Amino acid sequence: MSESQPPLGGSHKRLDAEAKITGQTRYVGDLSLPGMLHAAVAMSTTASARVRSIDLSAAQDMPEVEAILTAKDIPGTNLIGVIFPDQPLLVEDRIRMVGDRLALVAARTPEAAWRAAGAIRSNVEPLPGVFDPIAALDDGSPLVHGTSNLLHTYRVIRGEHEETSSEAPVIVEAEYHIGGQEHAYLEPQACLAIPERDRITVVASCQCPFYIQRAVARILALPLAAIRIEQAPTGGAFGGKEDYPSEPAACAALLAHHTGRPVRFLYHRELDLQVTTKRHAMVVRHRWGADSDGRLLFAEVDAVLDAGAYAGLSTVVAERANVSAIGPYDVPVVRVETRIALTNNLFAGAYRGFGAPQVSVAAEATMDRLARKLNIDPVEFRRRNLLTNRKAKTCTGQVLPAPVLAEACLERAVEASQLFVAGDRNPSFRKRGTGVAMCLYGINLHRGGQFLDRSSAVVILQPDGSVIVRVGLTEMGQGNLTAIQTVTAAALGIDPEQVQVWQPDTTTVADSGPTVASRGLHTSGRAVLDAIRHLRERLDPVAADLLGCDPRAVELAGNEARVADGKSSIPFPKVAEEMAARRIESISTGWYRSEPREFDEETGLGNPYSSYAIACHVAKVAVDPDLGLVRVEHVAAAHDVGRVIHRSAAEGQVEGGIVQAMGWALTEELKLDKGRLLNPGFTDYLIPTSDDVPEISVTFLEDAPGRGPFGAKGLGEPSFIPAAAAIRNAVCDALEVEIDRLPLTPPTVVLATDPEQPFLHGLP
Amino acid sequence: MSESSSITFRLNGRTRTFNVPPGRRLLDLIREEAGMTGTKEGCGAGECGACTVLLDGRPVPSCLIFAVSCDGQEITTIEGLATGAVLHPIQEAMIHTGGVQCGFCTPGVVMTSVALLEHSVTDPDERKRRLAGNLCRCTGYVKIFDAIEKAEQSSGEDHV
Repeated sequence: MSESQPPLGGSHKRLDAEAKITGQTRYVGDLSLPGMLHAAVAMSTTASARVRSIDLSAAQDMPEVEAILTAKDIPGTNLIGVIFPDQPLLVEDRIRMVGDRLALVAARTPEAAWRAAGAIRSNVEPLPGVFDPIAALDDGSPLVHGTSNLLHTYRVIRGEHEETSSEAPVIVEAEYHIGGQEHAYLEPQACLAIPERDRITVVASCQCPFYIQRAVARILALPLAAIRIEQAPTGGAFGGKEDYPSEPAACAALLAHHTGRPVRFLYHRELDLQVTTKRHAMVVRHRWGADSDGRLLFAEVDAVLDAGAYAGLSTVVAERANVSAIGPYDVPVVRVETRIALTNNLFAGAYRGFGAPQVSVAAEATMDRLARKLNIDPVEFRRRNLLTNRKAKTCTGQVLPAPVLAEACLERAVEASQLFVAGDRNPSFRKRGTGVAMCLYGINLHRGGQFLDRSSAVVILQPDGSVIVRVGLTEMGQGNLTAIQTVTAAALGIDPEQVQVWQPDTTTVADSGPTVASRGLHTSGRAVLDAIRHLRERLDPVAADLLGCDPRAVELAGNEARVADGKSSIPFPKVAEEMAARRIESISTGWYRSEPREFDEETGLGNPYSSYAIACHVAKVAVDPDLGLVRVEHVAAAHDVGRVIHRSAAEGQVEGGIVQAMGWALTEELKLDKGRLLNPGFTDYLIPTSDDVPEISVTFLEDAPGRGPFGAKGLGEPSFIPAAAAIRNAVCDALEVEIDRLPLTPPTVVLATDPEQPFLHGLP
Repeated sequence: MSESSSITFRLNGRTRTFNVPPGRRLLDLIREEAGMTGTKEGCGAGECGACTVLLDGRPVPSCLIFAVSCDGQEITTIEGLATGAVLHPIQEAMIHTGGVQCGFCTPGVVMTSVALLEHSVTDPDERKRRLAGNLCRCTGYVKIFDAIEKAEQSSGEDHV
């Protein structure tokens, strides 16, 4: 396939853009059916208690109520956890978290359903709870489950430690407190369950229809084949619709199964913010050493994740945090310990970066501290320690293939940053600073999750030469439909408008795992190429017949089938028409799974990922030191992407990732009081607006091909990871202080420069 | 309970009459009675802007407007922008620049952008301030700004 194969790397119209821009895209909330009921849930308002009784009587008599269900009404197994069997769908006796479900209601209107849910009374015996992840690991702390709050420990043990640890000329010790984050997708959780007696369809806003399929099958005690999950157009996800949608879907499915009527469950925003998964809050302790020439000698990292009340995906998040703890730097001696603590806080889950952003903030802060101690410019200090073609050993000892673009990313981002000219701003923003940060990110599922690292694809050639494609990975806004359209069009040499990619459902594609880990294009794109290879085993002989050549000489390009020597050609639709006329099978399937990898769980050494992407962000900020306000003025991003498949979608990932990370770095504070979120609304939980956006420059480096289609690499999470660290470093540069806490809210910033500030005592 | 009132307003250029109870939100009237689901509910509290419609040309969050208060007014939703197959310049521009990702904020963003163009708000910083009531979590807003600029350049003798 030629290098400049259209439409690769261009910016043709997104497949889903016109329907979205005209309001015709039907999200779950836009779907309704005759007789449809509406779901609501009665929840715990305390974080730790034992249920004595639940009184449904007042709710049962309310008008328009069709069903009220509790745990005893579940025909299957009352378990919802995606990895561990620790979370019931409906509470039987023990409450571990605010928002634990006590009962479900189906009613003829949403208002009636919520009124009835509000009339359900529970009699509970309060139990002591634990809300601090460090305290949760102490002996004698209240237990969330079983006999220990320590869910799991991961380690990386590499290099001989004893001498370097004590003899390093420069040592930095620090403890970072990194806050959680709410996904704040614009479309709240939503699903619609449609029963057919002993089978059921659920239309859901989600990242993984296959997780929902398994959850519903378990709750209803039905075979997987009786459960059809259709992915609805999904209004943003960012990890928040990986595991969580199984919960509302199982609730709606249970109510639908019970009533025999369609049941729609739409979360309102406050509920969504209050009970859905969050990014893990983490405490990261560092002890890193360097020699007097500014070369890293060792890195000790001790990280604790607050899992909240249920395991959810915490083990796999921690697994990734563990191996991402030292960034793209060459460190001869590494000791990482990553522990997961259960608490009675809201349970944490997948969120863009999967633990890597938190440890990256810590790693990049420590890099700046070391640079300052050594009196070396932070960029130069990174240059001296970056992974290169010759020093290519990652945290886990995996050797990256050349070329390693870490230094190229650093230089390109720094160059772009130097071109920025600050405009006139409010003079109170009188302090200015620059911060740099990087990331090295494994762009497929970790070795521990590699059994899920595959994708199914189906390609159906139509008699008019147009093509239907389905893949098992989902579109949630990131552009996977368009990326797959682009890959298909390039592989068949046809215009992208001739390719329609439809959202997956579990009856059309095989279980492909979750759309996470920046692997959507990589994994499903390779599966499509496999399907097209199979299709061509049947298509090329037909084209060869029409062209009068050997099937091996057939090329597809320019909407034609051609003989390789270029002398004769035939329009692609003619070949499709001839295939149909000869009744040749026009559907083909494809499959891709990542390569098996060696990895030692005990030492954390080996190859956790099959390939990596590198990125560098440089942030320039202006700070009002009196009010503690920060304006990010410019971010320069350089990304090692392998190959750009769709340019404006790729840029959009980076711009969106940076702005989302800026929110996490500066304003998005989850205020928890005994496990209850005090700010479940966008008035108090502040995500960036258009008025907060910095100038952003994006550079793509395409010199290090990845394993995705046409050499593409993942981008969704690398686009997020370095930005918060770069902003933190820029604020610290501006104020000439070290701040070890995220987000950098005004009180945090003011206290950093003026610890005696009398008005802020008692604030973190 | 108070009785329903009959109200008449122009919705996307057509005169429509509805019987509405006093607490009915304009958002629900548009989505349910009028069957136009392009306008989205993202928060129900006037915080996110996904439900933005034009009320006599002004962008408003329809989740905070009582339908009964709209009697005699002119309402434009996302469904009212295109003329047949011809999209509004801001719709074309959003497609062209890549301002659409998940699409859930998009109808609201587009309606506010139409108002910015109609009111000739040309200063980029002023535009960013006026668009701040429309949250977008996907795009980082950059390509939305690009789209407004592009639409202004190509804009619209023949539109709205």
